[in-house]
Amino acid sequence: MQRMLIDFSGDDAVFGHFGATGGYALAARRAMHEFGTGPETWKKIAVGQRKWAGLNPAAMLRDKPLSEADYDAARWVVEPLRLPDNCLITDGGRAIIVTSVERARDLRQPPAVIMGLGMHNPSTSITQSDWMAGPTGARPAGEAAFAMAGITRDAVDACEIYDCFTYTVEITLQDYGFFKPGEGRDWLQGGTIEPGGRLPVNTSGGQLAEAYFMGLTPIAEGTMQIMGRCGQRQLGAATKTKSPEIILCSDNGGILQSHACILLRRL
Amino acid sequence: MPYEKPLPKRNPDNQPFWEGCKNHELRFQECSACGHVRWPPSLLCPRCHSPEARRLTAKGTGRIYTFAVYHTAYHPGFAAELPYTVAVVVLDEGPRLLTNIIGCPPGEVTCDMPVEIVWADIDENITLPKFKPA
Repeated sequence: MQRMLIDFSGDDAVFGHFGATGGYALAARRAMHEFGTGPETWKKIAVGQRKWAGLNPAAMLRDKPLSEADYDAARWVVEPLRLPDNCLITDGGRAIIVTSVERARDLRQPPAVIMGLGMHNPSTSITQSDWMAGPTGARPAGEAAFAMAGITRDAVDACEIYDCFTYTVEITLQDYGFFKPGEGRDWLQGGTIEPGGRLPVNTSGGQLAEAYFMGLTPIAEGTMQIMGRCGQRQLGAATKTKSPEIILCSDNGGILQSHACILLRRL
Repeated sequence: MPYEKPLPKRNPDNQPFWEGCKNHELRFQECSACGHVRWPPSLLCPRCHSPEARRLTAKGTGRIYTFAVYHTAYHPGFAAELPYTVAVVVLDEGPRLLTNIIGCPPGEVTCDMPVEIVWADIDENITLPKFKPA
């Protein structure tokens, strides 16, 4: 494992820079400097997602509620990121089946329909990036997906955002335009993304609190929510949220080096 | 005491850089066609694709673009130094170097802080470019 981490890090390891937490810590720190975000914003994401995990029997952290005080007391991994800012490490798998709408109509399960897709891959190594505080690939990818779907953000009922770190959730929602740079902290106030909130985010608990299955955690959850298969955490009356017609899902790779946005809707 | 941290992996592309460090010089390729100063080293200019380059020796001054403070030792060689600061320093000539900030408590490091080079001699072959507040 250590050998892999060193090989993966190349000469960055010479200076003690390893893996993903360090890379996202660099990005998150620059964002603190440029638009005034920080742990007060990320705390709302970590705490909010943990509430969703409490409703998910499959969530690794279902029985470990997280309060704001717990977050404040948590240890630094690589500052400015604390332990609850980090995703989980999970053995397991997820799959989704993609077929034509025509075929899906005849299946027993109701489908989720792909209404828009967008990708943008800035690629640049994070150590050579001058856009760590955005806009990341999420902006053009989101614009492309919304254009293909022919809708605007206002039509989105919930988001399943790739959440390797809490900061990734903030910068992704920000680059999609849900709030202006630095306004995430206010936007998140009052449980916006939580059960009962006006824009639920990462309704399984996400990779921070359910399980880390790379891009499959968000897209599988978005699909299952549209299909109505989410039990106690199902969007709609059960969680005092809007019944989902349209869900936005994102994926992200490297240290903000690749991005995909996918919009799903009910048939 | 033996040096227990990872060492640079030398190759024909980065050899001039590490040779320069040994001589306490920050050597980069400067594109002969467009003037872009390249880092990491490359066969072609990433801006204009010209293969022609001359050597540029950087002054060793710049500012911190961003930084991260490690509280976790992912490699045992760094355990004794926790917490330590990793930073991206933008040199005045343009290149962005991943490096360490030393001689400054992590809590006092800030983005955009002016810094200057400190040469960390490891052995007769390896010297690492680190930075301290200017």
